[in-house]
Amino acid sequence: MGCGRVGASLAARLDHEHHDIVVIDLNSNQFRRLPSDFGGRTLVGSGTDHRILLEAGIEQAHAFLALAHGDNRNVLASQIAKHLFGVETVVTRLYDPFRAELFQRLGLRTFSPTDIGADLAYEALSDRALTGE
Amino acid sequence: MYIIVVGAGTVGYGLAVELQGYPDHEVTLIENDAARASELHEELGELVVWGDGTEIVDLEAAGAGRADLMIALTGDDGRNLVACQVAKHWFHVDRAIARVNDPRNERLFKALGIDVTVSAAAAVLAQLETSLPEHTVVPLMQLQGSGLEVVDLRVQEDSVASGSAIRELELPYQTVFSLVVGLDGAPRVPTADTVLQTGDEVIAVIAEDAEDKLRRLFAAPLAPELETVADGG
Repeated sequence: MGCGRVGASLAARLDHEHHDIVVIDLNSNQFRRLPSDFGGRTLVGSGTDHRILLEAGIEQAHAFLALAHGDNRNVLASQIAKHLFGVETVVTRLYDPFRAELFQRLGLRTFSPTDIGADLAYEALSDRALTGE
Repeated sequence: MYIIVVGAGTVGYGLAVELQGYPDHEVTLIENDAARASELHEELGELVVWGDGTEIVDLEAAGAGRADLMIALTGDDGRNLVACQVAKHWFHVDRAIARVNDPRNERLFKALGIDVTVSAAAAVLAQLETSLPEHTVVPLMQLQGSGLEVVDLRVQEDSVASGSAIRELELPYQTVFSLVVGLDGAPRVPTADTVLQTGDEVIAVIAEDAEDKLRRLFAAPLAPELETVADGG
């Protein structure tokens, strides 16, 4: 769910590894990010819409990744996938580190690019500037 | 009681105005649209704050730590669900009520421990259904946690219920008829001897899984050929 830079790049990678991929996005324009040899399916619609999820084959899915912009939509879609359709592995991106922590506790596999970005920036700073002082 | 309401649309605004009238309740209304928030702030004062009701820092600032009740009423199920889950699991708010915009999400909200869900679609549908003379069982309200619900029943012509005293009906376990409204429009508290007439409306408390049994008692019998099919099936 979500064909932004992260979603598209991940979908392409998994497709190259010969997994069966469906990418959902509200905006068909976003699919331009996928490589021209992308072998998976694309579906225009909302990942929080049960009908779209069924069309994507959620009932057979082994994993669901919510990588759309909008933490709350990602959380809703992930919990629908996990609790209503019984998808085994559900990964959720949350920009807000607090909510990432909370929903990790509530059973989703969450990660926060905010935390990761801040860590990387800090490390880069330590390497160059901090050690130079 | 301290109540936080998330979403100042028509419903949230109306509720906040209503609650403001109770001296025992303290209310904060959180709205994330700046223009809407400032407009309502002018009208209602300090109880309206501009913020994101799903954001932990904003809820903290609104005093979620001491709230007794969270009510999430935005038009977005994701926002309502997250506001309630953050309230319950981060701030340990006792009760959370969420509006469900997509009826298919109702089961999810319940499974995730949201105490009460309100669905505008279901409410409007129930209201429309009760105004149709052909209706037999229309759910009006769930009694939370008990497995019971309040329903509106209407006695159809030639049904089992029509012309029967209440004591003669084989009612499902836990069924209580609270009120009978006759064709004259007068409400009466029924006894076991009350005889139901075609067109009577009955307000009853029933077990949630008893709707089908009551429908069979109150509905007009199926046409013979349909009945055969139904039996065969």
